[in-house]
Amino acid sequence: MRSVRSRLGVLCLVALFMSLAGLLPVRSATPATLSQMTEDGRQLYLRGCSSCHGLDGTGTPSGPSLERSGAASAYYYLSTGRMPLADEAQPRRKPPAYSRAQIDLLVDYVASLGSGPAIPEVHLETGDLAEGGVLYRSNCGPCHTAAGIGGALSYGRAAPSVTPADPVEAAAAIRTGPGQMPVFGPEALSDHEVASIVRYIRFLESPPTPGGAALGGAGPIPEGFVAWIFGVGTLVLAVLWIGKLEGGHGRH
Amino acid sequence: MDDIEPAATEEDAAPRAAAGERVVIAAFTASMAAALALAVVYWRGGQAQLEGVLLAISLGGIGVGMVVWAKRFLPSGEITEERGRMASTDDEVASFTHAFEQGEQAIQRRALLLKLLGGAVGALGVAALFPIRSLGPRPGRGLFDTGFRNGTRLMTVDGRSVRPEDLSVGGVVTVWPEGHVGEPDSPTLLVRVDRPELFRRPTRTQWTVEGIVAYSKLCTHTGCPVGLYQSRERLLLCPCHQSTFDVVEGAKPIFGPATRPLPQLPLGLNQAGELVSTGDYREPIGPGFWNRRR
Amino acid sequence: MNQPRPATRSRRLARWVDDRLGTAYLATKALRKVFPDHWSFMLGELSLYSFVILVVTGVYLTFFFDPSQAESTYRGSYEAMRGVEMTAAYRSALELSFDVRAGLVMRQIHHWAALLFVATMAVHMARVFFTGAFRRPREINWMVGVTLLILAVFNGFAGYSLLDDQLSGTGLRIGYSIALSVPLVGTWLVSLLFGGEFPGPDIIERLYVIHILLVPAVIAALIGVHMAILLRQKHTQFAGPGRAEGNVVGERVWPTYAAKGLGLFFLTTAVLAALGGLAQINPIWIYGPFDPAEVSAASQPDWYMGWLDGAMRLIPPWEVRAFGYEVPNPFFPGAVLPGVTFALLYLWPFLEARFTGDRSEHHLLDRPRDRPVRTAMGVATIAFYGVLFLAGGGDVLSTTFGVSVNAVFQAFRVLLFVLPAASAWVAYRLCRDLAQRDPAPADDGSVAMTALAGVAEDGRDQDDRAGHDGPEAQGQAVGKHH
Repeated sequence: MRSVRSRLGVLCLVALFMSLAGLLPVRSATPATLSQMTEDGRQLYLRGCSSCHGLDGTGTPSGPSLERSGAASAYYYLSTGRMPLADEAQPRRKPPAYSRAQIDLLVDYVASLGSGPAIPEVHLETGDLAEGGVLYRSNCGPCHTAAGIGGALSYGRAAPSVTPADPVEAAAAIRTGPGQMPVFGPEALSDHEVASIVRYIRFLESPPTPGGAALGGAGPIPEGFVAWIFGVGTLVLAVLWIGKLEGGHGRH
Repeated sequence: MDDIEPAATEEDAAPRAAAGERVVIAAFTASMAAALALAVVYWRGGQAQLEGVLLAISLGGIGVGMVVWAKRFLPSGEITEERGRMASTDDEVASFTHAFEQGEQAIQRRALLLKLLGGAVGALGVAALFPIRSLGPRPGRGLFDTGFRNGTRLMTVDGRSVRPEDLSVGGVVTVWPEGHVGEPDSPTLLVRVDRPELFRRPTRTQWTVEGIVAYSKLCTHTGCPVGLYQSRERLLLCPCHQSTFDVVEGAKPIFGPATRPLPQLPLGLNQAGELVSTGDYREPIGPGFWNRRR
Repeated sequence: MNQPRPATRSRRLARWVDDRLGTAYLATKALRKVFPDHWSFMLGELSLYSFVILVVTGVYLTFFFDPSQAESTYRGSYEAMRGVEMTAAYRSALELSFDVRAGLVMRQIHHWAALLFVATMAVHMARVFFTGAFRRPREINWMVGVTLLILAVFNGFAGYSLLDDQLSGTGLRIGYSIALSVPLVGTWLVSLLFGGEFPGPDIIERLYVIHILLVPAVIAALIGVHMAILLRQKHTQFAGPGRAEGNVVGERVWPTYAAKGLGLFFLTTAVLAALGGLAQINPIWIYGPFDPAEVSAASQPDWYMGWLDGAMRLIPPWEVRAFGYEVPNPFFPGAVLPGVTFALLYLWPFLEARFTGDRSEHHLLDRPRDRPVRTAMGVATIAFYGVLFLAGGGDVLSTTFGVSVNAVFQAFRVLLFVLPAASAWVAYRLCRDLAQRDPAPADDGSVAMTALAGVAEDGRDQDDRAGHDGPEAQGQAVGKHH
């Protein structure tokens, strides 16, 4: 399992992954002073975000205030592509709209707007897989399902699949509670516990399937369809092969 | 029973028969090979997919072989058999009735003994029902109350007490009464809503603390834990049958089969600033039962 | 007699048995038994073979499974569960899956066989229904079959409830709440069943005995009864040349039908083995040990309980209150619906006889098209329970197709009534058209020799039938003459 020691490491890996995937050109961040960076971020913000979140980030009727979002929330939304919002009822995971460097600038700018959680550090090697499973099933499974494939909420909302899981994105989601998700602060889940959960989420990305095809991880519903379509279907074919097709209705 | 003998079935034309035989030979041979391979796989430590496939081949080989054999080489003529009638003839019924009634009359001559025998068997039957009572305790007050009392601290699953500031805005945590952590009848959900000013009846605001409200976690429909919190819309959802409860409106059901709100637990703070209950739930929690209101 | 052959060892053994039991007569009868050959008459065999496989794999599982509720810690080879506290039942199910050689494939074959046991029963029952094979004199066997269906569904539920994983515990909890909802006795009922309030200390060990001993024994006995009655009454057949109410036309059991039947047994087992090896079923290691304060989204029962779960989801929030007492909501979909369903199934042969006035004996089968009213009702029934079944997975469908859960359930509430009506209408029209194009074949009376009075009249009855519309058109009650 990959251990992540710093935020930088993750960023590099994510950037590398995305450039390999050909999703985005990677631009190297230009060295600049902090205030210069914040100013660059503000310019990006004004162009891409202010129409909903307001010129000063205090929100408008079409978008919430970002004063308490913090770096963690901005990082989560931008790097999973959930922001900027496309034509969709609920933010969905998409390829990010901004380059890694632009995301850094935006994150820094949003963080400067008020007080919010910083981007969490995840030390995967400190997490315990089995403990992560226990915590995942009691805190995350209720909405995201035990298999992590995502589940329905009410009135058109849905909890998304927890995979593919970048450790920092997953931890940021736990800490900030994006969208409908509840917030799990440091008093509810310690950093160590978050690391355990993230380890388990990454385990769910490709869990062992000793029994064969996982059937989407959606439980008895696909199992029932397989039983009827493959099982009953095959057996009825066998019976059609063995028995006579017409039971004496000779053509007159 | 006079059966009509089957029309003698001749072997099919020779090439067709030879082809059929080859299929059967191939099927039985494949079956044998798969069975041996299965033994080897098991002996080498086993692997579920290989085991399943090899078992399927070895069983399917026998099956295909037998069916082809039967269809090609076993007699397939149609036989007509007479069905005969189901019901007995009047004579048979009469002789049965006669035989039975003879004995019946002999028994009924001692009417008192017959009645006593009936009584004895009946009494034994009634007595034999009593051990059913051993299967479980009398349903007691357990359905009506939980471990929450005035001043009981609320504890998380790992045995920590909760202070209001421990719960992030938009966060939830499951708690139990101190001394009853993990017990199935009292999981309670603490929800800290982002805008406490939205609370309206039937929520009892005097039972909330700093925007934190406590509801029973057990659905009033079939008792599933209502563990899905939609923090933006402040809704609790039960994944079993999609009952949906509005947290700021006394957890009243707004969708699905649940008929009653989730009972609210009166909350307070103790001297040390920890969350406590100020009493038990005012009504039975969880699914309904016939005398719930008694 | 054939000319005597040299006595082999097997012949000597047969002789030895016959000297003591006199079996030759019955054995000959059995070998010479005639079975009509039609593919749809083999559907019931599929259930029988599934049951055999359930017993064989189930016995293997009992050697490793421990139904105890005692707390223990997992130390097996599945890393993501190591060190987790759980009951012995769940632990032994994990060990059975990961650390017992051939354990997982056996468990999966067992579970797939359970799904197919009920599924093939349903298909077999549909065949019997749509061809009218339940009519006199086969009402008793129909009722035995309905009982087998109920027992199979119940034992399936009992079986997957044993493992004490999160999903099975959720199912048990819903079962508990349904039992609790029964007026007047609900509180006592659950206390006696579960040994106390949910989850109770006893339910899994009790279900274990019920699942592996009590219900299988009753199922085995009833299968025996089912087949004994079948042998006694002889199989039904479709009308056709040479076929009459008074005869059976088909193949002898020995050797052709026996070989085909045994071949089908192996093929059934092969399909189940392939499923058991290639398609993962009930991955309890993902669901985790049962904790009564937890639940997972997308909690569904196995398919044959899906219609009940669907009804539990679709019912509006109604409950009845009277004199300070209440009838909770789960009572209606959880207890009344299955009660009415199975009562109607039990009574169907008698209800149909009453409505059509046809109380005569039938050994020739109907083609579904020749009984459009019955066929339409059967199709409507399948549509009704099909909608309930899909509603049981409404939340999974909602995420799969990206539709709001609430919209899905509102749609199902409408479909529950519209779809059966529409499909009944389509089925009725289709039957009428088909029957007009291809009238029912007449009974071939030339072969009906030495027919008894009643049977012969039935035969003529068949003649009359061609061109008639439905069961209600066939008014004349032809009683048996004694």
